Amino acid sequence: MTEEQKTVAKSPGSNRWVGQSVARKEEARLLRGQGKFVDDYRLQGTLHVKFVRSAYAHARIASIDVEQARNAPGVAVVLTGAEVAKLVQPFIEIGPDPGGKILDYPMAVDKVHFQGEPVAAVVAESIEAAEDAAELARVDYESLPAVVDAEEALTDGSVLHPSSGTNLVWQGEFEYGDVDGAFSKAAHVIEIDRLHFHRFSSTPLENNVVIAQWDASDNQIYFWCNNSFPAFAIQFLSPALGVGIDQIHFQSHDIGGSFGIKITNYPYMAVCALASRACGGRPVKWVETRTEHMTASAHGNERTFRDTRVALDGDGVITAIESRHIDDCGAYPRYEPLGCIIWAQVLPGAYRVQNMRIHFSQAVTNKCPVGPNRGYSRMQHLWFLERVIDICGHRLGIPADEMRLRNYIKSSEMPYTTPNGCVYDSGDYAAMQRIAKDLIGWDEWQSKIAEARRQGRLIGIGIGTTLDSGTNNFGQSQIINPRAPYSGQSEGANVKLDIYGEIVVSIGSVPQGQGHETTAAQVVADVLNVHPDMVKVRPGFDTDRNVHTGHSGTYASQFAVTGLSAVHGAAAKLKSELSRLASFALGANEDDLEFGVGTQGPEVKDNKSGKSINYWGLANLVNVNNAGLPPDLDVTLNCRYVYRAPFKVPDIQRKYGNLTLTYAAQLHIAVIEIDRETYIPKILGYVAVDDCGRVVNPAIVRGQVFGATAHGIGAALYEDCRYDEAGNLLASTFSDYIPITALNMPRIRYGHLESPSPFSYNGAKGMGEGGAAPVHTVCAALQDALWSSGVIVKDSHNTADSVFRALSTLGLDRGQGLGARD
Amino acid sequence: MALQFGGEFEIQRALEEVYDFLSDPHRFGPVLPYFRGLTVADERNFEVKVSVGISHIRGMADVKLNLAEADRPRRLAYRGRGSLAGGSVDFNARFDLEPNSKGSKVAWKGEAQVFGVLTSIAGGLLQPLAQKNAQKAIDGLRAALESGVGDQEPGVSGQSPVGSGQLSVLGSPSPLATQPELAPPLAASSPDSEGANSQTSASAAETPVQGSE
Repeated sequence: MTEEQKTVAKSPGSNRWVGQSVARKEEARLLRGQGKFVDDYRLQGTLHVKFVRSAYAHARIASIDVEQARNAPGVAVVLTGAEVAKLVQPFIEIGPDPGGKILDYPMAVDKVHFQGEPVAAVVAESIEAAEDAAELARVDYESLPAVVDAEEALTDGSVLHPSSGTNLVWQGEFEYGDVDGAFSKAAHVIEIDRLHFHRFSSTPLENNVVIAQWDASDNQIYFWCNNSFPAFAIQFLSPALGVGIDQIHFQSHDIGGSFGIKITNYPYMAVCALASRACGGRPVKWVETRTEHMTASAHGNERTFRDTRVALDGDGVITAIESRHIDDCGAYPRYEPLGCIIWAQVLPGAYRVQNMRIHFSQAVTNKCPVGPNRGYSRMQHLWFLERVIDICGHRLGIPADEMRLRNYIKSSEMPYTTPNGCVYDSGDYAAMQRIAKDLIGWDEWQSKIAEARRQGRLIGIGIGTTLDSGTNNFGQSQIINPRAPYSGQSEGANVKLDIYGEIVVSIGSVPQGQGHETTAAQVVADVLNVHPDMVKVRPGFDTDRNVHTGHSGTYASQFAVTGLSAVHGAAAKLKSELSRLASFALGANEDDLEFGVGTQGPEVKDNKSGKSINYWGLANLVNVNNAGLPPDLDVTLNCRYVYRAPFKVPDIQRKYGNLTLTYAAQLHIAVIEIDRETYIPKILGYVAVDDCGRVVNPAIVRGQVFGATAHGIGAALYEDCRYDEAGNLLASTFSDYIPITALNMPRIRYGHLESPSPFSYNGAKGMGEGGAAPVHTVCAALQDALWSSGVIVKDSHNTADSVFRALSTLGLDRGQGLGARD
Repeated sequence: MALQFGGEFEIQRALEEVYDFLSDPHRFGPVLPYFRGLTVADERNFEVKVSVGISHIRGMADVKLNLAEADRPRRLAYRGRGSLAGGSVDFNARFDLEPNSKGSKVAWKGEAQVFGVLTSIAGGLLQPLAQKNAQKAIDGLRAALESGVGDQEPGVSGQSPVGSGQLSVLGSPSPLATQPELAPPLAASSPDSEGANSQTSASAAETPVQGSE
């Protein structure tokens, strides 16, 4: 049996194309260098922006002098933050007070709150002229104490936003079950003083790019931008810029990755739009540099877990967890108040624990604002749970695999309702563990590891079990802010026959490499019984297609459910119209019609008479040759469908309800050896097993699993947005950030399981974020290697340096990173 | 990124001479490493342009200095702020003077806080670089004092006396050009891997962007 064949419970399907590794339609242009990214747009008269950015993490702007810059050659306009503040309203805040009082403008007005925050925008005929002029801007700062630790921030010793008066953004208590009762009956209580999930980000090949044109003639704003959640961005931009939603036009074509962090690039969109208006409507382009991206785009959340107590019964089954979680959202909350609830989608992780009490708070710090980075908010919480189960297993002497088996939710319990009302749709974590152990050679490794340890080598094996919840219920935002005007989830799609009978699909999502064109074509091909090559899926996103909804975008692992459900619905509507039209044209009963491909392309055939009409003929009848069509034959062959996920608004008081529709799962196993001389952790073996329900395109799923695995391994061992005490980012280039590459990527063995979701029409679950499984897994393997040395893995980022320090200072728990065992 | 440095040296000069040298922008400013120009706002505030960087990658930095503490002849302290491409630096430098058998003992102490992407790009190089430049400044200071610069009356270096308003050295006949005694010690600085401050401050001031680096 090959790795690919290690499939359990593969359900039989009638689909012809869904489930096949159809070659990606996007590759033809992308591999030939013919992709169209925002920077490829060449609009006549385009001006270019260079931002003047703060070197300080926290400072008052004493004065700003841009006169020299304004008078520099080629400069069209210079906008300072104070000038911009007079032109716009601050962006809306998702959260309630106190975070809701924060004033968030597109650029710093009188204070800077993080290193790299823009204080002025220089707009010139060329980027070179803009850069030269930007250097002439003189800004005098009065340095203020920087706060780079969320726990310290909550003491309000130095408050970032005077309008709010506190660094606290939001806090709340999440309590379910009988926590105190469980602790009183516990056979074991294990305490963990501090765990810390570090700050890292994504490194998309394409940085943020914006072109904006504010056309004064009709007061319309046109954006070409790689924002990955434009429906959300537009809702922020409209009130800030003082224009109606319909006056904002947004278009993207190809996007070189987002991973969520491009969702929050709207402040730059606003500045470019204002600059365009100031320059008489000329297009204004901003192309972010890599250092700008590292410094001032968006990072992933950093989270600290304090005072954790775990109750277990005599068999090592966890009966209760209580803990205090502090989330660091950087200088501005923006999307982040949602992170205060999104983790609760996976409250118990893959485990059956019923009694939980989590106090959650979020603070602003003088660091880059965070964005919904891949696996966002759930990833941090799942890492916490994996550290808990791992540490408890080691303490009780229960092997990692057994510890998890004793605590996993069982497949027979699916759909499983969590203590906070989320419904896990399907899954079999024990089966995934069996597949993974088989692939890695678990038993053989146990023998090898025992022998290696006898030789004094530091080697360990670890398991990470994680969930990738997808298709979220925006009603959870009301748990954070009861006045939030969001709930449910939706996505739109349009399938039509154009005048010449070509099948054209428009989607509301914003593809960034996930193969939406291909999988959408597979779905339509199955509905109409044609070849996917006969389905043209328009690349990218465009508000003017009028397909999208207020939830449209690509985020939260949902396209396979929301996007494809919308495509499926629209294709089914078109098929229904085609059936009625063909019935008229052929004089046939609809029951006798068959959809397929004839000698003249896609057609509808009357099986009784043998007559057929192809799509060109059908489209012709409606669009250009429609005299004689019965008035009651109401067909347009242009069918939009909006998929709405079956959600209710959660119980806000109890913080209870179904927050997500599907739960993909990942189970990874790693074997890691720590070099005794260099302390460099080296991965000796790695297995990734994925269950995303019914697989729409195995090749695409495999690619996303590998991508997420690479991202997670990079985060666990290399990538770290670390700051010094003054708020300087010490990893503003790839030389310091060290994104993972093919050179340090281990060989991955891949397996999968299909547990079809009962909640999606196709059994698919959203996927692609991967739940950061490698972060949990690498930590678990390191823990196994270091446990006998007396070290506890307390940080999600571990390097040769931190391992060396931990082993060198054994017995001196510094309270961060790897710490000595209690 | 916080940097700290300090040390002490002895000099065969009276306390007052050392103090007057250190508190006179026209004499103290040019001993800073890679000095390129001076603008004096008043007797307590001045701005120097210096060339900063690593090896051949250099840029101009504007450094504003404020004589924050002036307790003649025992103590003086500067507070400063420099800005350059990719970063800023805030610093404090304090000099404590004591008489001794040779003349004066000068204890100096500096603290700097560096901000900006420079801290990431230059990273671990900053501390040794700062240490080196601080030492270079002290060496220049000693050399200038020993060679007699300190004999000059404070505040007469130039056509406009200090305190009479803006005195810009950049692009104008430099008052420092009238101080030939300043040249030997600085010219004697040996080239090193960062480039050498081999010009006199006067000629450097006249050609601020054409340093030897």
